[in-house]
Amino acid sequence: MLVVSGWLFARRALFLVRLVRAGKPVERFDDMPGRVRSEAVVVLGQKKLLQRVVPGLMHAFIFWGFLVLFPTILLALTWAADPDPGLGASSPLGWLERQGWFALLVDVFVVLVLVGVVTALVIRKVQRPERFRGSHLREADLILGLIAAVVTTLLLWHASLIAAGLNPWPAGWSPISNALSTLLPGGHAADVLERVFVWAHVLVVLSFLVYLPRSKHLHIAVAAINVFFSRTRARGRLEPLRFDAEDEADLRFGAGTVSDLTWKQALDAMSCTECGRCQDACPAWATGKALSPKLLVMGLRDQLFAEGPAVLDGGEATPLVPTAVTDDVVWDCVTCGACVQECPVSIEHVDHIVDLRRHLVMVDARFPSEAEPMLRDVERASNPWGKPQAERAAWAEGLDVRVLQPGSRSPELLYWVGCAGSFDERARDGVVATARLLRRAGFDVGILGPREACTGDPARRMGNEYLFQTLAEQNIRTLDEAGARTIVTSCPHCFNTLANEYPDFGGRYDVVHHTELLAELVQDGRLSPSSGDADITYHDSCYLARHNDVVAAPRELVSRIGRPLEMARSGRRTFCCGAGGAHMWMEERASPINEERVRQAAETGADTLAVACPFCTLMLDDGVRQSGRDLRVADVATLLDESVSRRDARAETTAS
Amino acid sequence: MRILVCVKRVPMTGGRIVLTGDAQEIDTAHLGFTISPHEECGVEEAVRLVEAHGGDSVVLTLGPPEAEEQLRDALALGIERAIHLVTGEEWDGQATAEAITEAIRSEEAASGRFDLVFFGNESADAGGFQVGIRVAQALERPCATGLKGIAVEGSDVRCEQEVPGGRDVYRLALPAVVTVKEGLNLPHYPSVPAKLRAQRQPVETVTPTPREARLRKVRLLVPESSGKRAEVLGAGAGAAERVVEVLREIGVA
Amino acid sequence: MSILVVVERQVHGVDELSLQALAFGRALESGADVHALAVGESGEALAHVLGAHGVSQVHVAEHEAFASYAPQAVARAAVELIGRLSPVVVLAAGTERGNEVLARVAALLDRPFAANCVESTGGEPLRVVRQRWGGSLLEEAELPLEPALVTVAPHVVAASPVNGHPAAIETFRPALSQEELALRVVEHVQTEVEGVSLADAKVVVSGGRGTGSPEGFAVIEELAGLLGGAVGCSRAVTMAGWRPHTDQVGQTGTKIAPDVYIACGISGATQHMAGCKGAKRILAINTDPEASIMASADYAVVGDLHEVVPAVSAALRKARGT
Repeated sequence: MLVVSGWLFARRALFLVRLVRAGKPVERFDDMPGRVRSEAVVVLGQKKLLQRVVPGLMHAFIFWGFLVLFPTILLALTWAADPDPGLGASSPLGWLERQGWFALLVDVFVVLVLVGVVTALVIRKVQRPERFRGSHLREADLILGLIAAVVTTLLLWHASLIAAGLNPWPAGWSPISNALSTLLPGGHAADVLERVFVWAHVLVVLSFLVYLPRSKHLHIAVAAINVFFSRTRARGRLEPLRFDAEDEADLRFGAGTVSDLTWKQALDAMSCTECGRCQDACPAWATGKALSPKLLVMGLRDQLFAEGPAVLDGGEATPLVPTAVTDDVVWDCVTCGACVQECPVSIEHVDHIVDLRRHLVMVDARFPSEAEPMLRDVERASNPWGKPQAERAAWAEGLDVRVLQPGSRSPELLYWVGCAGSFDERARDGVVATARLLRRAGFDVGILGPREACTGDPARRMGNEYLFQTLAEQNIRTLDEAGARTIVTSCPHCFNTLANEYPDFGGRYDVVHHTELLAELVQDGRLSPSSGDADITYHDSCYLARHNDVVAAPRELVSRIGRPLEMARSGRRTFCCGAGGAHMWMEERASPINEERVRQAAETGADTLAVACPFCTLMLDDGVRQSGRDLRVADVATLLDESVSRRDARAETTAS
Repeated sequence: MRILVCVKRVPMTGGRIVLTGDAQEIDTAHLGFTISPHEECGVEEAVRLVEAHGGDSVVLTLGPPEAEEQLRDALALGIERAIHLVTGEEWDGQATAEAITEAIRSEEAASGRFDLVFFGNESADAGGFQVGIRVAQALERPCATGLKGIAVEGSDVRCEQEVPGGRDVYRLALPAVVTVKEGLNLPHYPSVPAKLRAQRQPVETVTPTPREARLRKVRLLVPESSGKRAEVLGAGAGAAERVVEVLREIGVA
Repeated sequence: MSILVVVERQVHGVDELSLQALAFGRALESGADVHALAVGESGEALAHVLGAHGVSQVHVAEHEAFASYAPQAVARAAVELIGRLSPVVVLAAGTERGNEVLARVAALLDRPFAANCVESTGGEPLRVVRQRWGGSLLEEAELPLEPALVTVAPHVVAASPVNGHPAAIETFRPALSQEELALRVVEHVQTEVEGVSLADAKVVVSGGRGTGSPEGFAVIEELAGLLGGAVGCSRAVTMAGWRPHTDQVGQTGTKIAPDVYIACGISGATQHMAGCKGAKRILAINTDPEASIMASADYAVVGDLHEVVPAVSAALRKARGT
């Protein structure tokens, strides 16, 4: 029976391994120490699961239980095969089964596992959280049932061993099994019961073994591996594609079919436990769109398994879009990364979506038509609005900022303004304020002006990796020629791209976000704000807080300027404004993400909504107008500039 | 079928036009470039016709070395070969047409006659309205202009020109020359594999003998702005009543 | 010394733009004999109108070919006439047809041709100022006389009637080849235009990128409907696939000349302005007070079109009492 179930398990496992190995290559072997640390913290420590306490503990009990109880499975198999195995005290298993403390652990963890299972059932059946919408609930029930059966039969077996007097460990050490044994008949009946329970246990375990790789419970094998190979580098960085292969057949343009998936993406698909935490965190799902990161991964997984056999045999695969995933789902994503942050098994949903977009845009030219002018303008006019680059420095007139020409002396600080700040009248305020503050603090500030092209972020997030790389290479040449060492930028998207993505193309600079620099200046006393009485709630930009951990600096500034009020979803758990993933240029179906965020801001009772990103400025300001609320949306720099000027004005009045 | 499309490299001017110091050219320092809009539709149409009817297509430009970029854009859209007539400064319509006619004759002698030759109705910059017509005359082929619709039917091409109230239809026997307008089709977004292939393709270059301009450019000038500064009627929805007043004054409300 | 103007006919008379070309030609070579070429049926009315605009002799080319528009045949007729008259300058209106016919004449004669001139200071060679970029840029150029081939940009001069006698009429039958006969309009397809056509509308309300989506045009359509006008759009909108190209106002779209042009969420790129500069008044509605269009507009409202346009529609309704 062991052989049969072993063979069934192995056959499926081999199929899965072959699927993974057939995946396209990806670099995930760097930073081994970091990866080991991840394993320890995320897998052993269950850190991501514990982001939600009750379900986290529930799972932790079951998981740790599984680790602790694993040797008992081996013991059960041995005992089932031979009623009196006579394991020597010197053999590891034999030694373990004699240890009282191990028997105690077993008892305790059996209880913890059962508590976990009951908690899980209460959550699923009584609480019925939204995140399970779309998950396979029957499957989950079956798995919970099997888990309960595994530990129950184990407990009964232990009890029957004690009743039959066969226990190798001192019975007193296992109070629960001991107590249970008193309920069982002794003598010959106990011997029979012992056989019955050990076989029952083995049967349950073996059927679980066969079922495991064919169900989402596969995650217990795959998840640990998936976590090990998760990204170690900056969260906001996307992995580049290479376009310089000699043979076109060697080029990969993102994921068009299951054959294009990388091995990490295949692992991702297999790791999904359908827990739905990603779905809960997703701003698109929350506002009624088709996208659920969970359903996306499940869809990919299902197609991978369905087409896997044919593809491994050399057959053709069908396109992933729209078969596994519809176009809507692919384009609804704002690349905020909330899903990736929540996922306990380190699935990288954003990477999947961008890879799907890459194929759709670069090969199929199948994308929302309203984004086409943006892509064409980024390519031909060097900015997504098609505005004349010659006017890119117009905002800086009169601000004593150097517009760097080829051959100019390299600046102390290169201020990378970004397209929105340069051309949009609302985003301009923050940029002007930043420039004024930096000059006031005495910096030599240089801007590239017309030679600053779009960083390429919107093109990259749309999936046009080729266009992005063209821009990256051009900008890096310009920056290097200008002798830029330290770059300050107001836009978190520019910040993310310059700091985390340009190094892949040879551009290495010290990049700092304007709030970080301004906070430092305030701390050092080089800028002196006056405290005000505005009630300010600060909105964390996804690309700043979640992708890059810049959370404290803007808050320091806000607390010096007014009275800070926090929204429920803040810091790394922030809720997107809706512009990411090139959504600034795409239509939004269903209810708008920006209005939802504005609603959350208004709930705090604040009169000012502070932001640190030009996209957030535009989206949230639009949201305020659309919903008719009374909230002032302003960049932290604008507020700081006003605050500093207020202090000056007061100083003047007191002086005079 | 064999199709030739002629394109011109033009700058994307944006909000204001600025001239070089000598007023001979537009200052293109920070401008992007593109195939002139009417011609982009010509390229797209050529690609679609070859897809539908079989055959091959060639793109040709008369322009500076940088115009190679536009040739490669056309290759990425699906044109198979490119010919570059490399020049220094801009040539007038007559000289351009002469050089292109020579190139066509030479190409046809080598590889066969073009069933259709596409031009833009006029280039976005010079706006001469004449190159296609002159080439057609020199080749002694019929030419229909300003087309928004083209259909090849056997050895004829049915041409549609937009006029007030509808469309006028011409029927030309192939081989023919057509000049087209934006709106003929919506050019597709080129795929990256096509762009990569286009990067690698060789482009045939020819240096045509320069000719004296007969329509001689003396200088360029930016038209005087009216010096207008729009009268701001108000901000936001609050300005609505004032707007209605103004519309009534004008006599349209 | 004579000049020749190729005129286009309208249902009852001569097209206004041809009359403008006549005025331009007369100013250019005052004292010259003004000849006009028309095709189709001759008539007293024609002689009257043209005479009133300074034409001394009208040459009417009569041929079956002219039953429908046949541009190469018109050009051939012009070439024949040029051979007889040896005018110093040949002019036509800078319309689609005018430019086409004169370009064909230029090709037949292998002579230079300057399209869309706005000004001429005469001389030998002829000095002209012509339009580039749909009029957003001008070019001073020279071309030799006898004949200099020139079309006159619409609305740069006004038609100016003089106290003239009716013109003398000469009809002639041009010798046309098979090919010249074959290049003719064989069919006319009428398009269903809902409401007013963009080119003719007295009021045009346009939306640009600021509309945000096809649905964003609902407010534009509403206002246009209330004003009895047509809906237009910028090139960004047609490239995004939100509106058909026939709605596009611009250098490569439709050129309009309404009494008022209301541009909503349009930044004012030169190629767009080239299409709407014929408007008598321009009202710009834009969130950006520094948008390029502000330098060409007569009136502006600074604000979001999604707020402003519905408010204007509502105010209109209120003012009308509906």
